[in-house]
Amino acid sequence: MMQTAGVKQTMQAKQTVQAKQTVQMNQRNIIKTILSRIALFVVMLWIVSLVIFFALRILPGDVAAIIAGTNSSVERYRSIRTQLGLDRPLIEQYGSWLWDIVRGNLGTSVITGQAMGERLTVRAAVTFPLIIMSMIITLAMGIPTAVWSVTSQHAWVRTSLRVMSQILGAIPALWAGLLLVMIFGKGSGFIGILPTQGFPAQPLSSVSTFLTACASLILPAVSVGIITAAQVMRYTRSALLDGENANHIAWSMTAGMTYAQAVRTTGLRLALPQIISVAGVTFASMITGVLTVETLFNIPGIATILLSDMSERDLPAVQTELLLLAAFFLLVGLVIDMLQRLIDPRLRAQQAHTNQ
Amino acid sequence: MTKKHRQQSLSAQLANLRMDVDSSGAVDSSDASLDETLNQQRIKRSSRVRSIWWSGIASIVSVILVLVALTLGYNVLGASSASGSVTIGLQLAPTNLDIRNTSGTALDQLLIGNIYESLLTRTTDNTVSAGIAQSWDVSDDRLTYTFHLAENVTFSNGDALDAHDVVWSINTMMKEELQGSTQIEGFESVEAPDAHTVVLKLVAPYSQLLWNLSGRAGIVLDKDARYDAKTQAVGSGPYELSKYEPGFYATLSARDNYWGTHKAQTKTVTVRYYPEPQAALNALTSGDAQVIAPISSTLSKAIEHDSRFIVRAGEDTDKYVLAFNNASGPLTNKSIRQAIRYAIDNEAIIASRGGTDAALGGPIPSLDPGYEDLTHVYPTDISKARSLMREQGYTQEKPLSLSLTYANTYPAEIGQQLVSQLAKIGIRLTVHRVEFATWLSTVYKNRDFDISLVDHNESHDFFQWANPQYYYGYDNKRVQSLYSQAMQASTDKQRDELLAQAARIVSEDAPADWLFNYRVMTTWDRNVTGFPVNLNQTWMPLWEVRVR
Repeated sequence: MMQTAGVKQTMQAKQTVQAKQTVQMNQRNIIKTILSRIALFVVMLWIVSLVIFFALRILPGDVAAIIAGTNSSVERYRSIRTQLGLDRPLIEQYGSWLWDIVRGNLGTSVITGQAMGERLTVRAAVTFPLIIMSMIITLAMGIPTAVWSVTSQHAWVRTSLRVMSQILGAIPALWAGLLLVMIFGKGSGFIGILPTQGFPAQPLSSVSTFLTACASLILPAVSVGIITAAQVMRYTRSALLDGENANHIAWSMTAGMTYAQAVRTTGLRLALPQIISVAGVTFASMITGVLTVETLFNIPGIATILLSDMSERDLPAVQTELLLLAAFFLLVGLVIDMLQRLIDPRLRAQQAHTNQ
Repeated sequence: MTKKHRQQSLSAQLANLRMDVDSSGAVDSSDASLDETLNQQRIKRSSRVRSIWWSGIASIVSVILVLVALTLGYNVLGASSASGSVTIGLQLAPTNLDIRNTSGTALDQLLIGNIYESLLTRTTDNTVSAGIAQSWDVSDDRLTYTFHLAENVTFSNGDALDAHDVVWSINTMMKEELQGSTQIEGFESVEAPDAHTVVLKLVAPYSQLLWNLSGRAGIVLDKDARYDAKTQAVGSGPYELSKYEPGFYATLSARDNYWGTHKAQTKTVTVRYYPEPQAALNALTSGDAQVIAPISSTLSKAIEHDSRFIVRAGEDTDKYVLAFNNASGPLTNKSIRQAIRYAIDNEAIIASRGGTDAALGGPIPSLDPGYEDLTHVYPTDISKARSLMREQGYTQEKPLSLSLTYANTYPAEIGQQLVSQLAKIGIRLTVHRVEFATWLSTVYKNRDFDISLVDHNESHDFFQWANPQYYYGYDNKRVQSLYSQAMQASTDKQRDELLAQAARIVSEDAPADWLFNYRVMTTWDRNVTGFPVNLNQTWMPLWEVRVR
């Protein structure tokens, strides 16, 4: 006994010194990491802008033809092209677009004549509440059920939850939406209590429009939410089981926890980094992933303008939208990374180690 | 040894074990205090473990509670459509509001007769009647048109509308070749001898002028107003535009100071666009929209027996033109074109779409001048089609490969039906359903196609067949001369006869197959009256719309 205690003391002393060094190093590392991540972010965005710009130019057809339509002369079509600057060399078009973006000028949509900034803000004010709502449903449903599906004492509960997650994760959002409309749709459902389409023009103008706005998002958010919840549940479940394979659960049980307690505390905590990255990616991909429900429920969101701008070949608008989306994706990736570092000391330690 | 000591030693062993296992040696500072923290945590553990368990359940329950609360709140306090307002659900949205620069009948549908007004206007059976011009005189040589404008006409911004606005509108349109400029053929000049008279001169008679002046060509704009035409609109119509979100909705408010007889009956009309037909139907049944046009016949079955709604099919000028490439490729061969026309079972296609559309055997639909029933010219006759193909050396065993290119806004079923119908006579049809922009580029601009399909919904558009430069590549001198004679005809009757004659030749030449005349189904709430049923996809005056 004495011997072990002695070992313990020396160990503690050694590690206090180490810990102080690590703290200093960590601070330096964090600054270094952040700076390098920002530099990487900018370089990535620039590469993405190149890909977006030139890949879009492969699409057949142009916005001038859409504007001119089937009853205009060829001369008229050409003059619209010149007016819009579509006949300038591509490299020049790319340069002026990039220069505008760098100066923070998002430009104007050729076809609708709206300023891109205003256009996207209006749409984001619908899409973001929708995906945040979906995300809350996803996490609130996905994680507890995942834990339950691992810890339940009844085999049938575990199996049926697993099977349910497989089924729910595989159904298309469109189908889920139609089903929900059939059940809850105002005017057509069995329990007709929720609006099935549309979104009020000024959701914050009064209590009633605010409630209408929230209610209009419920069915779309649920139809997306249950599907992503099933997916998050599957990921969480397998992350929990990974933790079990790595014997962490067993360790906790040796320390006196029951199996279920160990999963809920140690297991969940160890699975957290994985859950965060899955949740982050799900959140980022929802911004365009909600396209089907935006169309089905006729909600004026971001995915819808992206699609309509694309089909009308409003390329200046599309490229700006895609670039902003790419920036959003990269940003979410950055946030996930930072959060993981904050939560998981193992990652920090690893980094410190590699830096040495 | 006490229990506490035993546990301490176990923890220490665990820590050692872990160090052994972790061969990389990445020991975290938290390991050092494992014992102390474990000891402290042990006391709290049971309560914390339970709290995590409960927080899981609580999160599910609270989300459900919030959703239920929102639902209840919405049902008690939610916004309902205000009285004195009507919401109209349409499908195809205009890309912007710039009617002078942007093509597409969705613009005509929304704006003409509601926000903008033309010199003349139209009746529900597609004939011309008085508009801003209350009357007009035509000189004997039909080269000079004198229009007498109504007095006290104002724009929604308060400006007075007089002859100078008309002259400015037509002159800028002609000079800058804006949309509508092709609709005044042989234009020479337009002048305003006084504030209420407009004189328009032509170099050659043009019998379609008056009808065209009831559409885009005749729109009168305020020459002094400065606004962004893509997102705003200033016109002399019964409504003014109060709100607009491209692709989603436009809100029209009745003008108090409207000058004419078409005074709006409803204070606010909201036009909403539902690209997804199911959403439109949901909007109708939930009471969020009172009128839906068009509604597909499959969806209309769902509300057929619902006494709250009325469903009607209107007369329209939509021609589903299955155009052949008459200028190059295998379809320059008339026998093959004829074989295709014999092979296509138009009635079967119409029946599969619900049976509301009308058969159409030629280029002119029933609401346009020069219409006659040409469905007998090429009746469905598979054996005749087969023998024509055999003469050209094609059989079912040795088929001719052709491609069909059309925009994905039209149903996929039509393509599938054509594939199976043409397979019977030895044609292997490959279908390319593409975006409209792609169609415009490959078919319309580059003429790179065998067969194309478009719903040409404009009225009075026979000129397409008299123009060899059009994408059909159809070049028949006789048709061109008949058409120009018709345009110079002195009476409507003479014009109609000449057009009918030309249409018959076109149909016999088989430069295309007219699959059907699309009749738009409109459905509306029983309490709504005054919504136009005919032609409402190109001409949708809303001033008479009202709710009981």
